[in-house]
Amino acid sequence: MSDTSFPDAPRADAQDKVRGALRYAADDARPGMAHAALAVAAVARGTVWRIDAAAARAVPGVRLVLTHEDLGGVKPPGFIMGGGYGFQSIQPLTSPQVAYRGQPIALVVADSPEAAAEGARLVRADLAAEPHQVTLDTPEADIVAQADSPLPKPMFADVTVGDAAAALADAAIRIEAEFRHPAQHQSPIEMLSTVAEWRDGHLTVQEGTQNAEAIRHGLARQLEIEPARITVLSPSAGGGFGQKNSLQAHTVLAAEAARRLERPVKLVVSRAQVFHGGSFRPASRHRIRLGADAEGRMTALVHETDSQTSRHDLFPTQYTELSSRLYGIGNFRGRERLVRNDVQTPGYMRAPYEHPAAFAVESCVDELAYRLGRDPVALRLANDAAADPVTGRPYSSRHLAECLRRGAARFGWERRSMAPGSMRAADGALVGWGVAIGAYKAATAPAVARLRLLDDGTVTLGVGGHEMGQGMRTAIAAVLQRRLGVDPGRITVEIGSTGATPQHLTAGSWGTATVVPATDEACDALLRALDALPASRTPAERLRAAGRAFLEVEVSRRAPGQPEAVIGRLATGLPAAAGPAYPEFVSFSHVAHFVEVRVEPTTCRIRVPRIVSVADCGRVVSPRTAASQLRGGVVWGIGAALREVSEVDPRHGGFLNADLAEYVLPVHADIGTIEVEFVDEPDPRLNRPGVKGLGEVAMVGVAPAIANAVHHATGKRLRSLPIRVEDLL
Amino acid sequence: MQPFTYARAESEEAAIRAVSAGGRGTRFLAGGTTLYDLMKLGAETPERLVDISALPGLSGFETAGPRELVFGAGARMSDVAADPRLVRDYPVLSEALWKAASQQLRNMASLGGNLLQRTRCAYFRNGEPFACNKRVPGSGCAAREGIDRGHAVLGGSEACIATYPGDWAVALLALDAAVDVAGPNGARTIPLEALHREPGATPEVETTLARDEMILRVRVPATPLGRASTYHKIRDRESYAFALASAAVALRMEGEVVREARIALGGLATRPWRAREAERELAGRRLTPEAARAAGDAALRGARPGHHNAFRIELGARTVADALLIARQRA
Repeated sequence: MSDTSFPDAPRADAQDKVRGALRYAADDARPGMAHAALAVAAVARGTVWRIDAAAARAVPGVRLVLTHEDLGGVKPPGFIMGGGYGFQSIQPLTSPQVAYRGQPIALVVADSPEAAAEGARLVRADLAAEPHQVTLDTPEADIVAQADSPLPKPMFADVTVGDAAAALADAAIRIEAEFRHPAQHQSPIEMLSTVAEWRDGHLTVQEGTQNAEAIRHGLARQLEIEPARITVLSPSAGGGFGQKNSLQAHTVLAAEAARRLERPVKLVVSRAQVFHGGSFRPASRHRIRLGADAEGRMTALVHETDSQTSRHDLFPTQYTELSSRLYGIGNFRGRERLVRNDVQTPGYMRAPYEHPAAFAVESCVDELAYRLGRDPVALRLANDAAADPVTGRPYSSRHLAECLRRGAARFGWERRSMAPGSMRAADGALVGWGVAIGAYKAATAPAVARLRLLDDGTVTLGVGGHEMGQGMRTAIAAVLQRRLGVDPGRITVEIGSTGATPQHLTAGSWGTATVVPATDEACDALLRALDALPASRTPAERLRAAGRAFLEVEVSRRAPGQPEAVIGRLATGLPAAAGPAYPEFVSFSHVAHFVEVRVEPTTCRIRVPRIVSVADCGRVVSPRTAASQLRGGVVWGIGAALREVSEVDPRHGGFLNADLAEYVLPVHADIGTIEVEFVDEPDPRLNRPGVKGLGEVAMVGVAPAIANAVHHATGKRLRSLPIRVEDLL
Repeated sequence: MQPFTYARAESEEAAIRAVSAGGRGTRFLAGGTTLYDLMKLGAETPERLVDISALPGLSGFETAGPRELVFGAGARMSDVAADPRLVRDYPVLSEALWKAASQQLRNMASLGGNLLQRTRCAYFRNGEPFACNKRVPGSGCAAREGIDRGHAVLGGSEACIATYPGDWAVALLALDAAVDVAGPNGARTIPLEALHREPGATPEVETTLARDEMILRVRVPATPLGRASTYHKIRDRESYAFALASAAVALRMEGEVVREARIALGGLATRPWRAREAERELAGRRLTPEAARAAGDAALRGARPGHHNAFRIELGARTVADALLIARQRA
């Protein structure tokens, strides 16, 4: 099926989105619905010694107030990176301990959202505050070397290749620099929200999520009931970006309230509370030492990181997965450390490790190009990897050089003059052109796909995956259309809800590379089954001729080299993805970004009028949503580089700018032309359709390309994000 | 949010009576873009709202008069921003409106209410655990030793360094506008310059309006300076952000020489800030880039940095200089 490119096709849910017809969890309205609101802690760390909900209970319409005094029986969810299901291991409202400012301490449920919110405002808590640490720089903060921690190895061992220290000592040129990345928040448009309802002992949860199975199995663990008694519905999530990749802390509270009131309960976590109620991108610090010979061959790289984690969990990092494999560098040493802060546990925000790591490494590579007087594109091409430097295995496919060459041509890179400050616009603005590359593991998760053809010609495909706006339904429909010749209007894709097929976590850019091969194999099985029926013009006619109402097949698929046991993890809602290292090869998606910035000479505003991005994600199954995803990733990169910072007041903990006016995301006026292009070469070693992931590689490298362009414009190397006016004045 | 009663006023007089009789917890409600927001945060807790947004007498505006421009307090920001005469003859006014908020907010927000927009200081807005003398008089100021990147470098006090966030008032200040207000004891006119207060020891008192006084209209003397004017706003993104620094500038030029300059600063001070010293120093000088920069420095003279906002003193001076050069091109 990979022989030819896929045609451009509209997004499956585009019309519904534009009309507002697509239903999200919080859109649900049903008779008897009660509404819940959270009261949160105002101290950075401490203990609740008295909580007074009398005023809250007295608000007309308030039906229930829950605090830690009521929910002692609810069990902790376990941490998703520690064998559990939760974004963090602790469950608010089950103990008097407060681990971070903004942690929920009470749930108020009422007949209206207004009454619930007013009740929550009136909850009075007396807290005994304890000393707290909320930044990487707090001297007393506990720093954990990941290699010496209980985190599983070799997954979270430090990466070592060759002898970096010796190679660095021998290097003709050495670049040393430290980079800083602030905490940032995903802020999906759809806030964390849940509708929970019990009927005859069965709990139904509606929640926009990337991981319906973790909600189901996690709630089963928390409530000590059978997973079979829980259904999670998440046909569409309004953006996830990693924040919705696990069981959230609010979900069980809605379920408990619904059980006690015997009413459906809706809980929408407010925007300010989402900044503390879900995971976020941790602040991190990166020390880079890069060595090269006089000809510009990179010979050594040392990458040392410190990254925020919570006091209650070790959120592991893999920053060096990118830095050790982006180029063919023979000597590498990584060292990753975690700094314990009094925050909710951070998590996987889009390109969680790769984006900050690429900012550090690709800024240094640009600096090396300037030390050598070498064109930054040529230097990168000269250091491309022939095989994976960490394992020595071949890449299943690697088209990074093609991304660079095509991008350079389309951007007009040959017209660039090398010297910083050498290009000017007609209005006097300093012009800077920068380049950087990115990579992201091409991971794969196991999947079960069930395909049913009806005698009216309609097709229903159920598979494990979640639609959070990236276009998964559209990609699946493209495969079904190509393999079965069925019109998109006759296709139903059942994803994101538990009950039919297991719903593995959709994250890590493995969505398409998981569901498309499974769908493809299900088509094989269906076509084989059809072959046993009398011949006729169309599949539906064959069914009718055979007197069959429908034909159904089910296939189960694992990533290359995965043992059969992994299906057990899939069935119990645990993460079970593989990659980038498979037994026979190593798989990555790649991208090259070319950026033009203009810097106002006086007030130093940085504009980004133009970006060209060329990506290799294997075969592009859904060209339109893929282009949209690539552009969206570039917008994220612009935000991360020039706008976004979650501000922390160390005296108080939590995040200060917890709303969308003050947390500065890019707006339309910030975004210029973004031209995107795909190599569109299938990677059949990874899977037969030849698809690799795109969602995260899209943003990897945008930030350093911008920083490198700012250097080209101004001569300044800026190593702390975001880059703002004050950095250039 | 705290429960409140809501009543729609039938007339200006009735609105004033209702607010006056209602006592401390009673407030006028116009577009609601600030008040509702702060009520949801708990930073405002009125008990009674008197809605004046539908009063027909407030919603008009007239920009064609020979002596003055008149803007009803209930006119919508978006309607006024798009007025062709304003765009042509008073770009400083039109730009100040266009560069504020978002289109959705401009469609809701009223010109009178906009003048009274309250600060964006996070310590003011977000309640517990932050001390704020503006929200709870006497509780202290968390901003002074906190994240003060956006806080005022001009007009602050020990008690408060919260920035006045608006744009429209800054542009009006440069054009010597006045506001007509009415209260239970009758009507009066306040020069815009006398409408806002510096925080001093009582930052909770932000204007010289009595609680039951209502803004009826804004009047701007007609002036040829309007043409050579601009509202230059520097912010963290290209739209929908408050000013890091802004300058409302209007000029009367004679060839290369400045005969009269008006300069007001936004985003830098605890109130709309007129830079009269800079205006005086610029009058009679040739408007070179150096002179513009000197005027910028003069405008920021006396500015006091905090911990994270010193850059905005330099940025403010450059913003004023750029604004002067933009306005000159329109002379």
